[in-house]
Amino acid sequence: MKRMSITSWLWIVIGALYFLLPLIATADFSLRAEKDKLGFLAYQRVFADPKFISTFTFSLYISLITIVASIILVVPTAYWVRLRVPAFRRVFEFITLLPLIIPAVVLVFGLSRIYGKYPFQFMIETPALFVVGNVVFSLPYMYRSVDVGLRAIDVHTLTEAAQSLGASLPYTLFRVIFPNITVALLSGAFLTFAIVMGEFTMASLLVQPAFGPYMQLISSSKVYEPSAVAIISFLLTWMCTGAIQLLGRRAPGQTQIAGSR
Amino acid sequence: MAFLTLTNIRKTFGAAIAVDQFNLQVERGEFLSFLGPSGCGKTTTMRMIAGFETPTAGTISLDGKDITSLSPTKRNVGMVFQSYALFPHLSARDNIGFGLKIAGQSKDAIAERVSEMLDLIKMQPQADRYPHQLSGGQQQRVALARALAVKPQVLLLDEPLSALDAKIRESLRNEIRDIQRALNITTVYVTHDQEEALSVSDRVVVMSAGRIEQIGTPIEIYSQPQTPFVADFVGSMNFIPATVADNKGNVRCGAHMFNVGANASAFAPNTAVRLALRPEELRVFSREPQQPDALPVTVSSAEFMGTTYRLHLAAGELGTLLAEVPANYARTLNTKIGAPLQVQLPHDMLRVFV
Repeated sequence: MKRMSITSWLWIVIGALYFLLPLIATADFSLRAEKDKLGFLAYQRVFADPKFISTFTFSLYISLITIVASIILVVPTAYWVRLRVPAFRRVFEFITLLPLIIPAVVLVFGLSRIYGKYPFQFMIETPALFVVGNVVFSLPYMYRSVDVGLRAIDVHTLTEAAQSLGASLPYTLFRVIFPNITVALLSGAFLTFAIVMGEFTMASLLVQPAFGPYMQLISSSKVYEPSAVAIISFLLTWMCTGAIQLLGRRAPGQTQIAGSR
Repeated sequence: MAFLTLTNIRKTFGAAIAVDQFNLQVERGEFLSFLGPSGCGKTTTMRMIAGFETPTAGTISLDGKDITSLSPTKRNVGMVFQSYALFPHLSARDNIGFGLKIAGQSKDAIAERVSEMLDLIKMQPQADRYPHQLSGGQQQRVALARALAVKPQVLLLDEPLSALDAKIRESLRNEIRDIQRALNITTVYVTHDQEEALSVSDRVVVMSAGRIEQIGTPIEIYSQPQTPFVADFVGSMNFIPATVADNKGNVRCGAHMFNVGANASAFAPNTAVRLALRPEELRVFSREPQQPDALPVTVSSAEFMGTTYRLHLAAGELGTLLAEVPANYARTLNTKIGAPLQVQLPHDMLRVFV
């Protein structure tokens, strides 16, 4: 194996410092809630705050619904595009990238204009519109993950093999395609989870009791707690990434979607 | 009545004609191969039998029933793919049982049939391995067992050995043939490998540019090619330009005259034709003693093929002739480059094409 040069190591160290120093500083600050003593007081206060629990639970609940809705929407669509209209794959890719281009404020305004009227006003009165918005926001990540997963398997031949054995298309989708893209689905699901947990703009505009606005609220009214919440968020994200890696290694015969083997 | 019948099949993709004027009758239990170069329409025809493509015109019937528009899920046609197409998340056992599960068979019935299939392909010890834990040959055997497990009326094999190395390809093709004979299942096999087609088939359909060139037994295809394409595509062939001299079967090739008898009777005098002769049909001798009707040639190159020698012989106005002689016999000849030899072209074996 080729040995890395000193310059390579130098760049790695600079990169690591760039990312780790603010994190270490935040972690250090979050532990200094008590004077002249390191401790977990800020974390205790955060976990004791009923608003933390309620907003965190709410966002968790919304993220799970968003993940399910995204999978139901994206997997059959991506499968159909690959199988029947591959010429339109670029068009679909572009459509799924639109949420990255359109500002969140514009998107929320558009959604509330459409779904705020009869017969959809229940959408704005319940968290339904928030879920719809999150599905749209997570579309680029979920579609890409699923598409990469589908690209890793021979969708056409597997479908034809299943059909020649008597399987219908829905059966093939659920019993052949789904199990072979679980790593891709998990990858998309964890990305969606991370997006929904940290979502702020839409939650604020739609006045949803979500975790994002809570973090913003305490950062303007507390000193040490925002740092503790930031560290908790980071840990959550890392756990998600770790889970993707772990599940990717265990899945038999599947192509790794995130990270390396 | 034939078991599988394709009548006037035509398939177009936009302006491109993939298959045209395709008529075929396959008997029950027959092993039939589609042989042809890439893009000749053999896979498209097979996909139409499987139901993955719909013919633009024509009908396909199986056991007297019109299946032209029937969904592939309802045809009861088993298919083995070039890329194996095993389901990666299922073990060999579960792959084989996949179709039986869809058919709604009981767990016991599935287990029994799967075990039967594993015995057939001699893979009982590897039953619980996943596809990525199996070799290419093992994967293709599982794919074959999976296709056979549901007891299909017709088995379709789409270049099943193309992805395997030569040694495994040979043993697996014999295994496929043995299994086909044991089950007496009607089989359609697509290949571009002539050796494969000739060695395993009851009949071979040679295709070119979407059309059937010739249908026949492997021996007929090899020894009596009906068109220049078949003559050229199947095996090696010497083509010698000539002119029909008269109505008595004489053809002229430069200063040489050959009597090919009835083979030239279909052509009028002065018609430009090509005489065709297999390399192994040429009789090669040392220059001395002089053989009757022999032509003098010199060795351009000699290739050792194991059991035979392939000689490229410069034959003057006849051009370069390719001859194949047994290695033992070749050792009695001088096969050095430039060495003088003589050849006889057996007149009764000379085929005549325009």
